[in-house]
Amino acid sequence: MFALMLLQVSPEDVTREIERLQRNFTFLNSGLWVAWLILVVYVLMMVGRERKLKREIAGLKAMLEDKPRS
Amino acid sequence: MRDKILYIIGAAAVILLARDLYLITGFPPERNQGVIFKIIFFHVPMAITALTCAMVAFLSSILFLITKNFKYDALAVAVTEVGLAFLAGNLITGSIWGRVAWGIWWTWDARLTSALVCWLLYAGYLMLRNAIEEPTQRATFAAVFSIFAFIDVPIVIFSIKWWRTQHPQPVFWGGGSFPPDWKAVFGWQMLAVLMVGVVFTMVRLRQEEFQREIDSLRRMAHAL
Repeated sequence: MFALMLLQVSPEDVTREIERLQRNFTFLNSGLWVAWLILVVYVLMMVGRERKLKREIAGLKAMLEDKPRS
Repeated sequence: MRDKILYIIGAAAVILLARDLYLITGFPPERNQGVIFKIIFFHVPMAITALTCAMVAFLSSILFLITKNFKYDALAVAVTEVGLAFLAGNLITGSIWGRVAWGIWWTWDARLTSALVCWLLYAGYLMLRNAIEEPTQRATFAAVFSIFAFIDVPIVIFSIKWWRTQHPQPVFWGGGSFPPDWKAVFGWQMLAVLMVGVVFTMVRLRQEEFQREIDSLRRMAHAL
């Protein structure tokens, strides 16, 4: 049965199947990269925003401390 | 204390994700679709996390309108933004799967279109918030918009039941078959992605508290 199956499969079929599997794997790989890249970009955006907010708070607090003295 | 909880959940999520990735890599390719089928381990948890975020935004928007407590408004904006990031991941991984399975990146089928509309609605919610200066007015308008936007969520979920769609029927709760060991890993992956969502929401919530502090400091500066 296995030999019969082998007879029906041409080398082109095998090459085509290997190419299909390779392409399949490449797409899966890129899918996973993109999914995590989106989340990493979002984390970086949050980190940047947090720094900006903390700077703004420090600036406002410093301004409020200076104001009564002046 | 809250920071400690944040780090613990974050570390647990990272460990779980690494473990799941290791196990998923070891699974054999699916018979018909091949290895691309494994994208389901990221595509579906991202969708469920995004729709859970939409549900939380909906509930907190209702609670804000009832109580006028700004904590609910902060929660609504935090989960909406996090949900938007996850929904973007869901749409893109789905598109990559579609390119292999269907031969096309996108089709205007009911599930895909309603999910894209959902993303656009919640992006609109964030834009609306940026456009209004006055905090009470901003929170009220945003809450009403969030409730309106939530109408799309059941359409996204049930579109594959209500209409004949190109999108596959659900693998879970829809007659699909999944080997038990795959199911267990999927469950853990679902939990890990949800935990990432919780961590993001907690960080974003803290930023909303900073923003409120800035607003009150500005008011004080104007009063002096």
